[in-house]
Amino acid sequence: MRRRLPVSLALGWRDLKGGARRLRIFVACLALGVAAIAGVGSLAAAVRAGIAADARTLLGGDLELRLAHREIAPEQRSFLVERAQVSEVAQLRAMARRPDNEARRLVELKAVDAAYPLAGSVHLAPSLSLGEALGKVDGWGLLAERSLLDRLGIGVGDEVLIGEGRYVLRAVLEREPDRGVQAFFGPRALVALESLPGTGLLQPGSLIYRHYRLAVLPPETPEAVAEALERRFPDAAWRVRRLDEAAPGLQRFVTRTELYLTLVALSALLVGGLGVAHAISAWLETRTQTIAILKSLGAGRGTVLSAYAAQAGLFAAIGIAIGLGLGAALPWLAAGPLGERLGVEVRPALYPAPLGLAALFGALTAALFTLWPLARAAAIPPATLFRDLVAPMAARPTGRRLAALAAIGLALAGLLVASASDWKIALGFGAGAAAAVLVFRLAAALMAALASRAPRLPKPAWRLAVANLHRPGAATPSAVLSLGLGITVMTTVLLVEGSLKTEIERTLPAAAPTFYFIDIQPAQREEFRALLAGWPGASGYDEVPMLRGRITRLKDVPVERVAVPAEFEWVLQGDRGITWAADPPAGTRIVEGRWWEANHSGPLLVSLDAEIAAGFGLRIGDTVSVNVLGRELTAEIANLREVDWNQLGINFVMVFSPGALQSAPQMALATIRVPPGEEDALERAVGARFANISAIRVAEALQTMARILSGVGQAVQAVAGVTLAAGLLVLAGVAAALRRRRIYEAVVLKVLGATRADLFRALLAEHAMIGLAAAAVAAPLGTAAAYAVIRMAMELPFRFTLLPVLLTVILSISFATIFGIGGSLRAVAAKAAPYLRAP
Amino acid sequence: MPLTTASPNSALIRLVNLELKLASPAGPVNILRGIDLEIASGERVGIVGPSGSGKSTLLMVVGGLERPTGGEVWVDGLDLAGLEEDRLARFRRGAVGIVFQSFHLIATMSALENVAVPLELAGASDAFERARAELARVGLAERLEHYPGQLSGGEQQRVALARAFAIGPRLLLADEPTGNLDGETGRAVMALMFELADRHETTLLLVTHDADLAASCDRILQLQDGRIVADRRSGSRAAARA
Repeated sequence: MRRRLPVSLALGWRDLKGGARRLRIFVACLALGVAAIAGVGSLAAAVRAGIAADARTLLGGDLELRLAHREIAPEQRSFLVERAQVSEVAQLRAMARRPDNEARRLVELKAVDAAYPLAGSVHLAPSLSLGEALGKVDGWGLLAERSLLDRLGIGVGDEVLIGEGRYVLRAVLEREPDRGVQAFFGPRALVALESLPGTGLLQPGSLIYRHYRLAVLPPETPEAVAEALERRFPDAAWRVRRLDEAAPGLQRFVTRTELYLTLVALSALLVGGLGVAHAISAWLETRTQTIAILKSLGAGRGTVLSAYAAQAGLFAAIGIAIGLGLGAALPWLAAGPLGERLGVEVRPALYPAPLGLAALFGALTAALFTLWPLARAAAIPPATLFRDLVAPMAARPTGRRLAALAAIGLALAGLLVASASDWKIALGFGAGAAAAVLVFRLAAALMAALASRAPRLPKPAWRLAVANLHRPGAATPSAVLSLGLGITVMTTVLLVEGSLKTEIERTLPAAAPTFYFIDIQPAQREEFRALLAGWPGASGYDEVPMLRGRITRLKDVPVERVAVPAEFEWVLQGDRGITWAADPPAGTRIVEGRWWEANHSGPLLVSLDAEIAAGFGLRIGDTVSVNVLGRELTAEIANLREVDWNQLGINFVMVFSPGALQSAPQMALATIRVPPGEEDALERAVGARFANISAIRVAEALQTMARILSGVGQAVQAVAGVTLAAGLLVLAGVAAALRRRRIYEAVVLKVLGATRADLFRALLAEHAMIGLAAAAVAAPLGTAAAYAVIRMAMELPFRFTLLPVLLTVILSISFATIFGIGGSLRAVAAKAAPYLRAP
Repeated sequence: MPLTTASPNSALIRLVNLELKLASPAGPVNILRGIDLEIASGERVGIVGPSGSGKSTLLMVVGGLERPTGGEVWVDGLDLAGLEEDRLARFRRGAVGIVFQSFHLIATMSALENVAVPLELAGASDAFERARAELARVGLAERLEHYPGQLSGGEQQRVALARAFAIGPRLLLADEPTGNLDGETGRAVMALMFELADRHETTLLLVTHDADLAASCDRILQLQDGRIVADRRSGSRAAARA
């Protein structure tokens, strides 16, 4: 083998002079798939690098401690001050309104001390120092994002009321260093921490987060301070965030988005792989005579395989290199707009890890899709090679080659699973992709079988078209498979987006309340309820007490030591809203155990979400401990409920029995539906009487969600577009490979009396049928895939939308005819004589 | 489609000062230089001459597959020089059968389908029945569903003959029909071709290198450098017919 290799390489190299331009499609297909994977990976790496580089700015310091409701104790404060410069920030939601009460808007209020910001800087217009902007000169200063100015119809210098506090808008907040990406319900408003008591918003139980940012003083290190805090205050209710968790939400978003985009990109590579297989097969078909001659001169199977594998390797390397180049360039192209959307600086650079991964995916795909045609060509005796078109090659590659093929397939699947952030989704994708290829193969075979058994159609053009679908060497399988996969991915992506959009824009608003009211104080509840219940046309008033609590122990085991499935980790991360109730809330579905007596006065009981209980391995009778305002309460699980998190009503993981929680400081949460057009009046009436109560308009929150979804949707569509482009490239390649044959057939048909219109009609009919077949499979397959993504991966209800399906059917037929005919027009126009002369 | 009968005289083929020049990198090449010829309906005409003398080109021009650069080409009353491509196709579909040295069967169609195509194009509702009958006539009733690659050279040429005669052409053009066949097979194919031509009363224009084959025709045209240098009656064929 060692001695033969140089000979085979030389043969392969010399043979390339025979028109390697035919392998352009091979290179382009691989380049496109690799570029998609490399681009997505590089972009995600550039975002992560941006987060890491700006970690201190995003976090607001070297370390951050966060508490709900409370400030830190004096003893804790002095511990911190000894080791670090401390900046305190309070965050809450509040209503900002004009003094004439004519305009109001929920704001994400942030109250900062004089040390803010410890890292980065605030950009204001006009340019002012933060001290000047927020200080008390003829009233406290306020900074707000421009959308608040627009909404309230105010300008710099105007007065704004927040709660009972009176502020003067001093400047527009253009950039806030530690904002990152957060799902905001309203524009940001910035005030001085000192001014907060004057708002009357600091009521017991009000939902206020206190953040303590630390700029650690040398020689201390952030790690050492974090460990010292852990040792000194092991039971503190705060949550410590370090530099590597500077933007956990953004990091999770990037990881999740990268996973989905990579899977769509992989489908582009899969479709590209089909193009590779087709291109190499078409190439080898043109080399059959050469192979036959080589074999007759004594070249063995191994020599032939090595010679053509070397060619394939060379072109795969070129395709991968082009793909890596394109993918690596993406961060430079997308950094600006993406950074603006994500609120971090995207750092374009060459990231070797994603590029290496993309190269590996590309190489394995190329190997997987070329080995079979190469092995077939090497396995066949020269005599049968000449008749391959008509009598499909009966020879099969050897067992060793089959084993190699299986090994490459497994390696690819292994790489997919190992490199994905969620192996279950990756595995699901792999299985789905394999199933899709199989379904399309079967569909193509079925179509060919139906075409061969179809009654002879009266019009020759139609008969020719139907006949072309099933003849030996017909384009049907390759065309249906490549176009169909591309269309399936596009259908899936559009249906997933359509389903989410329908849910957010139509289904949810139809069932959701119009308003959420937060921070209703116990003393206000009666009056508030009376106001809302008496509102004309109002319905579905619901009101529950709410506290914040952090789960500390499950079955008496500290949660840090409990292994929890990834999908339930959120329950243990930070504070959760908790409530108590004497009677089961309306619509409660108890699946196990029973509700407590209304006058229950025994030990604390809790009703838990059944799915989460199962995830934690909890049963009736087990205990759950919760830290509420620094006090640890342990409750026994009395029953398990089914909670539908997809409805926008008030839902809680944990509902406790009355008793211990009843007397804790708390506020109430209320929801109500009012007829369209009543929103402003109700909001005004609530604002006039309850300055501290904030109203969240569900429609606006849903719009924010829809905006985020639309951004992600565009990215996914762009990558799906690459998949479709790969499919079209394959289609063009199939047409190109068949061009010589089509020209010859067209010439013979012309000799027999066919007009150009006859030939054109036959081509049109043939390719329209291919497009229709691809669409007929892609539409249900794409719908099934979208259903799986929505129901299984996202656990949401699936809402079918017809438009994407119709669109993909039309696209499929159009693309098939345009690319199929485009590649064959020369056949229609070809002059007969040159092709008919005897060789 | 019936052909018009506007021919200036009763000849099936009439060529007047026919010229064909092709462009080449070295300048224009004269393939046919002022050919005048009349062939009566029912005649069997052999065209002989050295390679490059213009024999096959002459056949292509008469079949409407090559457009002359000068002169007139009247076939069955139609001036082909004035017809556009699709009109020429319709003319062939109704009146002309062509047989090639390389058979030119469509590799992805079975023998039956190959023979049925011109009938289908001509709008025959019984295309497949007639194709089947035509294949049976050339002795290939057992090979209907075979693809060209599965047939021997002789069998392929018999399929080509069945295809050419399926429409009952008034004119058969044959370009070296035995050129790719061994002697015995070639003779069998020729016998078959003459028999079919007789049955269909088809005028035959045959290009060949084979002197014996040419001698089987009524008339032999000798071409050289694009000109007819001899036009003589063949004794053997005339004797055979007598």
